Amino acid sequence: MRNSCNRITLGKLVFLQIAGFLLLFSVLGLEAQNRGLGNAQVDETALYAMTKQMSQFFSRFNNEEDQFGEKLQPSSQEWRNQQQRRTVLPLLFDNHNPRTSGSLRDYFIDDLTNSDSSFLQFKGGRWYAEVSSTFLHQGEEVQIILILMIEKENLGSKWVLTNVYYPAFSQLFPTGEIAEREKHFLHPMSHELDFMNIYKAFQRPEVIEYYASGNYQPDYLSLFFYEVKKGNLKFKSVDKLKFHIFQIKNWYFEVNWFNRSGNNTGWLISNLMYVAENEKEKLLMFYQP
Amino acid sequence: MKKIQFIIAVLIGIFSVNIVQAQDDLSPERKQAIDSLALEKVRDLSKYISIIGSKTTPWSEANRVIDRADELFMAGAEIGVSSISRPEVAYYKVRQYFERLMRLNYDRVEIEWFKIEYVSDLQRQPDGTYVGVITIFQKFKGYDKEGGLVYEDTTKKDITVYVKRKETQIGGRIIGFWDVLLGDMRVKETSK
Repeated sequence: MRNSCNRITLGKLVFLQIAGFLLLFSVLGLEAQNRGLGNAQVDETALYAMTKQMSQFFSRFNNEEDQFGEKLQPSSQEWRNQQQRRTVLPLLFDNHNPRTSGSLRDYFIDDLTNSDSSFLQFKGGRWYAEVSSTFLHQGEEVQIILILMIEKENLGSKWVLTNVYYPAFSQLFPTGEIAEREKHFLHPMSHELDFMNIYKAFQRPEVIEYYASGNYQPDYLSLFFYEVKKGNLKFKSVDKLKFHIFQIKNWYFEVNWFNRSGNNTGWLISNLMYVAENEKEKLLMFYQP
Repeated sequence: MKKIQFIIAVLIGIFSVNIVQAQDDLSPERKQAIDSLALEKVRDLSKYISIIGSKTTPWSEANRVIDRADELFMAGAEIGVSSISRPEVAYYKVRQYFERLMRLNYDRVEIEWFKIEYVSDLQRQPDGTYVGVITIFQKFKGYDKEGGLVYEDTTKKDITVYVKRKETQIGGRIIGFWDVLLGDMRVKETSK
């Protein structure tokens, strides 16, 4: 593949055209690159442009591969080259969405390319997969979101479950009115009466958690494991996948798969937010309680 | 006695750490060589798919090629297929997938491969085996008796590649080599 002169010329042309189109620097526009396949004419432009894997998203984001998708060596001048990165980064956004194609995107790219530490790391933590899946709960289909992260173990790493979102679980633990919560407690001298009043805690099971510590947080993952072990939840299918990335200082973004025609496809940034580091902690509680 | 045991334990420890480090740090050249090995397997697979799918391939030959194709994969590997109209993933065992391909009800099929091959970084799983994913694209066309095009699609195939360092004894000498096997494959229709 690498030996093919034609391909290299084609690849360079395609890359320059796509970059030019997205940055509006080129007046040439996009011209389909056709290659003959039997009787069919096949346009490969879109496939070159597509961010085909999350691995490629990381490599393009960091400018660690060339326009043909070949890895750059860390010794190469192009590796993590900030100027080249400025042209590659806009290709990684969903440009059909005003939230990810306007000035916020430009601020983000400025921040990234003005810092030597704004590179994504596969094993750097603070990035999560959100797997929307279908389960059967007593024969009925229910949607459950699984959150996973990469964890180092022994000689390598693996994806591990960190949380689940299932509305039926959250409904079990409503926040409740403060006034109502304040009615439910065991007075501080209950021990002197051998906790004869503790039966009150179990009279209304729907608010049993009001009798727990103020720091108590329900552990939805354990509930989920319990339901699966009991055979009440049975896995059916994976429906959708997206990624939440918190690794970049003061930024959060979401990466989604875009299967559509054109040159802005594959794994792309579908949501971008400026989030100060101290605010991130709260958000991260959902992904990794 | 205890002192000697302690020294032996320390020496074994140092020795194993060295082995682990040596395996973990693949040089860029080594990585490139492994990528080439993995690509070789994937190219073999695409060649076999074209032969198995072709209506001009005799039945016995197609079955022979299915055996070859099956050998490229790890035991238990699965193929998950979805399309734009049927987004739910259908799972097939490797052999079952090839047998379905061989029996497709078209008079003539064209299977073509795009020249794009994307190779991910290799990551190590907890047992030390390297795992990567190679993405390739295929164009499929099915024709009826009259030569009319009745079905076509472009699919993205993401193929898991497992790479493991193994050793074998040849003429009394231990020779190390990289063993490459294909794992699960995800086949997804693209809207191209």
